Amino acid sequence: MTRRVAIIGAAASPNGKLQTPQDAPLQTLEHEILAPLVIEAMAVAGVPKEEVGALVFAMCRPYTLQKYFATFMANYLRLPLKGSIMEVLGNGMTGGMAFDQAINAVALGHADVALALGINMESQAASAEHAMSTMRATGDVDFHTIFGFTPIAWYAMDAVRYMHDFGATRAQLASVAVKNRRHACLNPIAQFRKPLSLEEVLSARPIVEPLGLFEVPPRGDGAVCLVVCAEEVAKARGTPYALVRGRGFFHDGTHQLSDVPNDMIAFSAAHRAATAAYGAAGIGPGDLDLAELYAPCTIVEVLASEALGLTPRGRGAAEAQAGETSLGGRIPICTSGGCLSRGHPAYVTGLLTIYELWEQLTHRAGERQVANARLGAGSCELGNYNAALIHILEAVA
Amino acid sequence: MSLPFIDVASARPWPPRISAFTKPFWDALREGRLMTTRGRTSGRLTFPPKPFCPHDWGREVEWVELSGRGKLYTQTVIHATPAAFIGEAPIRNGIVDLEEGVRIAARILGEPALECRVECVVLRYTDGPLFAFRAAGTAHRL
Repeated sequence: MTRRVAIIGAAASPNGKLQTPQDAPLQTLEHEILAPLVIEAMAVAGVPKEEVGALVFAMCRPYTLQKYFATFMANYLRLPLKGSIMEVLGNGMTGGMAFDQAINAVALGHADVALALGINMESQAASAEHAMSTMRATGDVDFHTIFGFTPIAWYAMDAVRYMHDFGATRAQLASVAVKNRRHACLNPIAQFRKPLSLEEVLSARPIVEPLGLFEVPPRGDGAVCLVVCAEEVAKARGTPYALVRGRGFFHDGTHQLSDVPNDMIAFSAAHRAATAAYGAAGIGPGDLDLAELYAPCTIVEVLASEALGLTPRGRGAAEAQAGETSLGGRIPICTSGGCLSRGHPAYVTGLLTIYELWEQLTHRAGERQVANARLGAGSCELGNYNAALIHILEAVA
Repeated sequence: MSLPFIDVASARPWPPRISAFTKPFWDALREGRLMTTRGRTSGRLTFPPKPFCPHDWGREVEWVELSGRGKLYTQTVIHATPAAFIGEAPIRNGIVDLEEGVRIAARILGEPALECRVECVVLRYTDGPLFAFRAAGTAHRL
């Protein structure tokens, strides 16, 4: 049994520093942040809590003390479940996979209503110490980590190759950060809402050359809850919803680096996942009104926009600089402000992606609303887009 | 022929684990040879070395020596390093396509341009070796 699935409610915390220092007399607790979001999202959805049949959590960071967080939350919320409950992990795809599994729970008939939710707390871990953990997530621990590669170092190498292959300039790449900050200024849940100039981006201290401070993700925390349901449940409510129109996935069978030389910056997994998602939705990239891309660095947004067919190959950075991917442009990308300015609480970023599409497609996005937004794409990835998960959503009024 | 050696007066910041299978790789590197495995049935190389061939899942592999010569595909300089690497920061790391058709990531010495011909060198740390690349025929050190 499969059936069509819709999003009917959502809520998200502001992104930023939510976590408290270990020695603070008063602590912020994950469940005390997430539970009110569940209640708020369900109030927007307008269905009683008894209808919820499945909970799919993005796994918490290791800094979260409470283990078995999913069943702990089911108890905290007093939610018996007939479908399923789980915590999922897929590195950068974690949030997207949580959404995907919630869709499955509904599509397969295990639940009529499912929540995809999570909280990512990490901001109190010092960057150099946090990197001691994340460096073990990319490449081979015994053959790559030994050199001190960090996740964003791989993206920096993409940037170097992209500039070499296509003659893209630093200013073109940096313009992505300026554009995303402009978007974030209009987003109440964004971590950074102060305008940022091209000069500030270009003169920022180097983090992984050529990328400086404003072209790599900020450290931060965030929490989000999405309510998904069978389309008949959504229809019965009589208020706008977002319909899942297509889904595409591809993993290229490599982990970070292919030992068979390939075009590393083609992001072929994203291209294949997008092709599958467009095919399932019966659309092409030109039909999209907006795209919310998983893009921890400026270069990643450029390469993903090309792989998804939103900008021509080799022209992604130039088109960003020309305003084609800005609000009001041909295809607005990362209207939330993206990872760079909305924030990148990594394990829930994929959920925040869908949250922004929900806001846009149900015309809740206020000053950053894309006029008449009807079709949106959201992507998330696994290390250099070796794998990509893409969803196409449609506004139904 | 041995790869050039460069002595480093410290221990490796984050040494690799060595298994019974990977020990020949690290032992050979210590002696100045960059090795990997080739599947007997597929005839294809892989890196890092593996006790089977990932291309056809053949279970018979042989150790072969790599030339260490290749071209620089891309690189970066990491300023924000993990804690263990702060003593070596900033770090230049990159990706090299070896003549044998194998792509490999490693430390880069000097400031070679992309597509530059590079050669493998052995960094002889006090506790064991790591491999690195530098522009062919230069004397760049860590």
